[in-house]
Amino acid sequence: MSDQITSEPTKPAQRMRAGSMVLPLAPWLIAAVALVVLPFIFTNNSAITIMNQMAITIIFALAYNMLLGQGGMLSFGHAVYAGVGGFACMHIINAEDFFAGLPLPLLPIFGGLFGMGLATIVGSFSTRKAGTVFAMISLGVGELIAACSVIIVAFFGGEEGISGDRTYGLPFFGVEFLQQIEVYYLIAAWLMISAILMYLYSRTPMGRMANAVRDNPERAEFLGYSARWVRFYSFVASGFFAGIAGALFAINYEILTEENLNTTQSGIILLVTFLGGVGFFFGPILGAIVFTLVQTVLSLQTELWAFYLGIIFVATVMFFPGGLAGLLMMHVPAWRMGKIGHLAWPYLKTLGGGLIGSLGAAALIEMVFHLRHASIGDHEMTLFWTTFDSHTVLPWIIAGVTTLIGFGICRATAPALVEAWNEANAAPKVAP
Amino acid sequence: MTAALALEGLTKSFGKTEIIRGVDLAIGKGERHAIIGPNGAGKSTLFNLITGRFSQTAGTIRLHGTDLAGKAPFQINRMGLSRSFQITNIFPKMTVFENVRCSLLWAMGYRYNFWSMVGRSRALTEGADAILEQINLTARRDLPAGVLSYAEQRALEIGITIAGGADVIMLDEPTAGMSHSETDYIVDLIRTVTVGKTLVMVEHDMGVVFGLADQISVLVYGEIIATGTTEAVRANPKVQEAYLGGVLEDH
Repeated sequence: MSDQITSEPTKPAQRMRAGSMVLPLAPWLIAAVALVVLPFIFTNNSAITIMNQMAITIIFALAYNMLLGQGGMLSFGHAVYAGVGGFACMHIINAEDFFAGLPLPLLPIFGGLFGMGLATIVGSFSTRKAGTVFAMISLGVGELIAACSVIIVAFFGGEEGISGDRTYGLPFFGVEFLQQIEVYYLIAAWLMISAILMYLYSRTPMGRMANAVRDNPERAEFLGYSARWVRFYSFVASGFFAGIAGALFAINYEILTEENLNTTQSGIILLVTFLGGVGFFFGPILGAIVFTLVQTVLSLQTELWAFYLGIIFVATVMFFPGGLAGLLMMHVPAWRMGKIGHLAWPYLKTLGGGLIGSLGAAALIEMVFHLRHASIGDHEMTLFWTTFDSHTVLPWIIAGVTTLIGFGICRATAPALVEAWNEANAAPKVAP
Repeated sequence: MTAALALEGLTKSFGKTEIIRGVDLAIGKGERHAIIGPNGAGKSTLFNLITGRFSQTAGTIRLHGTDLAGKAPFQINRMGLSRSFQITNIFPKMTVFENVRCSLLWAMGYRYNFWSMVGRSRALTEGADAILEQINLTARRDLPAGVLSYAEQRALEIGITIAGGADVIMLDEPTAGMSHSETDYIVDLIRTVTVGKTLVMVEHDMGVVFGLADQISVLVYGEIIATGTTEAVRANPKVQEAYLGGVLEDH
């Protein structure tokens, strides 16, 4: 252990960076305990469905970040590796004789291998160059395979996709995975395994060189490493874990369709990863959690959820390119200096104003939507537990004024927040 | 004895423009060889040809007797040739320590290893720390390389270049853009870290050249017009003409 202590940065800010740490056990233990305990807190089926979806998205986003964050490769077609892994698993589930002898928890390995196999083939030519060339090839291959899904019906099942029954597998210690909760623990176990493996991968010579090639491919070549092979191996590893995510999707939903591998899906995983933050290992985890919550919870509340998600994404790209993880990690220096408390009140004022303004703006958007798209004669709408007539002036005034006041407060208090921020991050003025 | 680096009839054209026009040069093992010449003489192009960044139009390049034709930079590097760049070329987002550690990986036999933890290898950590000690960047160990001062980045660049243990070190204008004191510092650094190695450098600063090199080649318009010890080259009438007469007046 002693060499780890001397070899690693002692500052938490740097230890937390995706690049430079040994495996600190605490976060992993907390995550494991949380995964075990969560179903006891959120017991209803829909909550478990959301958590399953979340866990699958986390694995996929982490796999995607092996490319984007660790390797500097922007892929516009990564859903195909998850999708093909999932389709392959669906076929295995439907291959009754074989599947009857295979315990379901081992199925994701096959998904991973199929994802990896496809990534090996595509990566052999797509990883020659990074940047635009790679992005364009990934887009092209993504479109190609998505188009194949309606052509090669035997494998992709055409428009209705492929479905199967996971319970025909060999019972695993008596568990047949009839219930959602059993599937939850299967997915949770794979989430832990995959996340740990992907984390460890980033600590290996290959993982380190992936960062080096991302930062400066030419320099890496003059250190004895072929940038192309480094990219290729990252791509293959990423394809493996994407395939695992696809397999878990197959297990969870028991159906795969073209939607699982089309470019929309590829776009979503890019969005999830970027929202969470590509610069830190745990970024995609945050992104997947937030995205899934927004997607499932918000979509129950409003038809316009995708619109709000788009705004969040654009705001992230423009104002917080480090994503949610970057936003969190920005606060580490102030926290280490014990001055994070100084930020609480200014934050409350500015963000509170922002929140009020956002809710007001959301109300305006919803009212416009209702006014334009509700059936004729339907003047009544319910917003924030209040029912009112969207064709009268008063609600518009209230929403408009709320928006103005909210953003007004936000804007008026912003300079104070900036000042508090600078103060909290200023080096202590004590003589060394 | 085979030369560490031997060029025979090397030419390079970009389109119709011939940049390197038949260079013959042999650099012996352990030699400290400076390539000088006016701007645009083709010094950097020559470097890029030797290190596999460009492919030659004609002629051969041999490293320890092995022909380098068609070899990629990473293959040439594995054969024991390492280079620095005129424009600082490091991994700016990675820490100084990580920069050096990455440059040790291949030399320490890790290749495309994805099953061992770099943090657990004492040899890697100690090796990287030893290099940091040599280039006096131990205090900067955990900072992102991009935030270092220019001179520190140049020192790091030299550290990365020598870390892999290559026996032929090529430095492209190691003191470009430096102040006098920084230049003195880097010259001392280069002298200590390249002991026992073959050193090939391109340099404009004659103080640096005379301080480090024992052999000098003068490259003018893609041709080597003189090679020899510093005294011999200085006394060479062709060099005097090129440097004091024709070429300099063009600029």
